[in-house]
Amino acid sequence: MGFIELNQVSFLYRGSKTKAISNLSLSIEQGEFVGIIGPTGAGKSTLCWVIIGVAPQILLGKLSGEVSVKGLASNKTPVAQIAQIVGLVQQDAEVQLLMTDIEKEIVFPLENLGLPRPEIERRLNYVLDLVNLRSNRLRHPFYLSGGQKQRVAVAAALAMEPEVLILDEATSELDPIGAEEVHNLAGLLKNEGKTIIMVEHNIDELARHADRIIVMNDGEIVRDGRTREILSDIDFLIHLGIYPPQVTQVAYRLMKDGLLPNLHASRMPLTLEEAVQMLSEEGEKLYD
Amino acid sequence: MTEPVVQVENLYFRYPARTDFALEDINLTIEQGEFLAIIGQNGSGKTTLIKHFNGLLKPTQGKVTICGKDTGNLPTSELAKQVGYVFQNPDHQIFAETVRDEIAFGPRNLGFPPERIEKNTNLVLEEMALLDTVGQMPFQLSRGQRQRLAVASVLAMEPSILIIDEPTTGQDWKESTALMELVRQLNQNGHTCIVTTHNMNLVSLFVRRVIVMRSARLFMDGQTQDVFREVGKLLTAGIKPPEVYLLAQQLIPGFHPDKPVTPDILADTLSHLSEAAE
Repeated sequence: MGFIELNQVSFLYRGSKTKAISNLSLSIEQGEFVGIIGPTGAGKSTLCWVIIGVAPQILLGKLSGEVSVKGLASNKTPVAQIAQIVGLVQQDAEVQLLMTDIEKEIVFPLENLGLPRPEIERRLNYVLDLVNLRSNRLRHPFYLSGGQKQRVAVAAALAMEPEVLILDEATSELDPIGAEEVHNLAGLLKNEGKTIIMVEHNIDELARHADRIIVMNDGEIVRDGRTREILSDIDFLIHLGIYPPQVTQVAYRLMKDGLLPNLHASRMPLTLEEAVQMLSEEGEKLYD
Repeated sequence: MTEPVVQVENLYFRYPARTDFALEDINLTIEQGEFLAIIGQNGSGKTTLIKHFNGLLKPTQGKVTICGKDTGNLPTSELAKQVGYVFQNPDHQIFAETVRDEIAFGPRNLGFPPERIEKNTNLVLEEMALLDTVGQMPFQLSRGQRQRLAVASVLAMEPSILIIDEPTTGQDWKESTALMELVRQLNQNGHTCIVTTHNMNLVSLFVRRVIVMRSARLFMDGQTQDVFREVGKLLTAGIKPPEVYLLAQQLIPGFHPDKPVTPDILADTLSHLSEAAE
């Protein structure tokens, strides 16, 4: 049994005629970094909400099948309890920032939990260092850049010490460097043993850190596999309206033109570093 | 030589109650029929700059001239006839009960005669592929349709300049390219089009001229491929060019493209180089 487990899960929002997700089955192990991609309306956010229990407990509708996190049924366990295991950061960090400085923002939910002061201090210092915002700890969130705000939202989620962190299009309003900051942070957290689930349109960045990619379309999982295998399938991604990493597209074209005879179709370069190495030295060495 | 549609001279702007400038010493000329992108980090001054083009903001110092008229003396309503502004979030501008009313509101407000309102409404409904939705409530439409409705209601006012602030936030690649394709068509029909965006891949695929803002200043201004080639300089402005430019720079010494680079174009270039080497 996986840490997160979905078995034949469907969800129909109240008032809607079509299921937002239908018959999803998947299992996520502790410590995995899973990227979820797909066109808008594919059901990616609904999947996140079903995992935390927000759907159907807060966003009303009809759930069928079984969802569990660490053995707890998501639809029957209070959301507040699941939220201590799974943290969620959404697209617009501003809507979740409500205090007058970063420190208060992070401390507020911990005080709510009734944690003792030394424990709150310890967690505060730990997450401020992790997201590299210690020197800004007394600033008003309003004066932070987009990337910094998003990092505050991540820090606030992490201070709850969740075992899983879900980032649902958390970088879509950020400039390229801000987006990279959030992705690098997600990679760091994975190395610290957290389970990361990242819904993302920015495939170039996702390719750097994700172990596994789930592709959704029309409420269903259409592919689920290792990152390299999924992102190497250029024709499939483009058919779905997903823009693959540019360097992968270049290698794919060269392979189709017969220029990279040693390159295997399921083992394309995904990052700039890999592409440079492969294209400047010749294919096979990279993947031996 | 025709008159530029936008002329910015020594523009400085400070928000009330702030000591620092949000824009400093901006000089810029935009000609009729251009298609350009303004890029830069969050907070670099992009939106503050484009709000000077439709008079939502007036210079603290310096001068902004739109189609020959100084915005300093011009009411925003007057500028609205020349400059269409599509907000980042379509839901910030949509308010009417039906799609048709939403589109007709702008031209009616500008005092267009009824026949012209009718004609423009029908034209943009067709142009924006919204004919099927005409009697619906705007909030029943999909996000992509609402975005097109926002563009349509601005177009119905016949602006010569179209400004679109972050057209692709929260949209997937297919929707984003469809919207940019639409802007390209409008540009080909003679509109001057200005977009702000963080999506460099889209900029590279669609836009001919790029302006980079950094810390309230105009930092770079040039043809798309020339701006994206300057990788080191862009990084200091917090911008990462599309990966094909980074790849090209590492594989091809002295890489100097004469048009914006796409994965296919780079693959072609590498193919030719390898043929030449054999």
